[in-house]
Amino acid sequence: MMTAVELKGVVNRKANFELGPIDLAMPAGCITAIVGPNGCGKSTTFRMMLDLEKPDAGSIKVLDHVMGSGNDTELKQRIGYLAEKPRIGDDHMRASDKAAFYQRWYANWDGNRYRELLKLMEINDNGKLGKMSKGMRRKFELALSLSHAPELLLLDEPSSGLDPLAWKTMIDLLHQYMDSGDRTIVMTSHIVEEVKRLADYIVFMSDGRVLGMYEKDELFSNWQTMFISGAGLTAELAGGMPGQYAVEYAGGTTFKVVTSKASEAEAWREEQGLTLVSRQMLTLDEILEALVLKERKGLRFNDVRGVRV
Amino acid sequence: MQLPIQINEQSAEPLYFQIEVQLRALIVSGQLAEGTLLPSIREMASSLKCSVITVRRVYTDLENEGLLRTRQGTGTYVASVDEHERDRHRLAAVIGAIEEAVIAGKRAQCSIEELDDLFEEAVKKHYE
Repeated sequence: MMTAVELKGVVNRKANFELGPIDLAMPAGCITAIVGPNGCGKSTTFRMMLDLEKPDAGSIKVLDHVMGSGNDTELKQRIGYLAEKPRIGDDHMRASDKAAFYQRWYANWDGNRYRELLKLMEINDNGKLGKMSKGMRRKFELALSLSHAPELLLLDEPSSGLDPLAWKTMIDLLHQYMDSGDRTIVMTSHIVEEVKRLADYIVFMSDGRVLGMYEKDELFSNWQTMFISGAGLTAELAGGMPGQYAVEYAGGTTFKVVTSKASEAEAWREEQGLTLVSRQMLTLDEILEALVLKERKGLRFNDVRGVRV
Repeated sequence: MQLPIQINEQSAEPLYFQIEVQLRALIVSGQLAEGTLLPSIREMASSLKCSVITVRRVYTDLENEGLLRTRQGTGTYVASVDEHERDRHRLAAVIGAIEEAVIAGKRAQCSIEELDDLFEEAVKKHYE
């Protein structure tokens, strides 16, 4: 599979935050969602992908263009970007004027597509941007980012402020956008259902690091909570389950174990002659929580020894 | 087109396998006729809330079995399933179900005679 966005050893240092080193390869033709707690470095990563911020080390390649090398005007024509927050400087502008401004810069701007998007999302572009409701402005900015049929769409928290109907319209729109099979979306999101509906790959980030990138269906089938029981079972024994993240006593001889390797854990359970009482899939936020907790514990442990891995 | 495929999130069976079994059954049973254009990979993924990687895997597997064919640029179609092949697939599902029933019987410690009687009863109930 071709890579649409590639980050190699990317580091960004700020006064009180260090991002990276980040290594990531996001495949073309797929939707990759970056998920993580507030302040994990998602938006900075996005800004670096567009060369709006420079990395202190490492390199970034977007659609085969090495960022920061030479003129990227042509490259930017192939990208649609929805920033996390609207530009306050645009508040006085009429929405239609901003669209006209975009049209000047994008050679492949499609006026019909733009009007179609306004109609679909029930947007009126007559008013001033600063007077629009948060959701309306979000929909308008989304329409702008899609109107030049970009190959790559970078969406930073696309649904913040959208009502449920507008949200559903957005999901459908993005699926349609991807239907041709050769386009790519990289997005960030806090909304579990949104990631579930849209993503093919999920990247977890925390404290400026990447905790891992997983194919969505594999991720959900691998992470399970298993309630196992057996005569003489102890917390220590239950903790021997492959991929174990947490063990909790559940009464009687039953223990609740969270694993990230469900099929290996299942084989181990049979081998040990333990009974499976029940199993549950984990939700996205539960997986994120488990990964973050482990990472932070690991960090503390290493900090004590003065080593940061 | 929305295909009647259902996903059981609590099942231990992997997602691609659940989809594959159901799509295969739709094709060999003739519910999806030869030449039917299937949803695009992205469409299928969005209606089943799974990733395109999973759908691609299902389409590729069924293509290798000769049940689907992909025409570059136009999409994935149901291939012609010859009678012999159809029979084989048709019976494969039935044989599997009967075997499961026998295993269930054995678990409940039924004798062979008891199973024979139960089988006959079930046939009578549904065929007469």
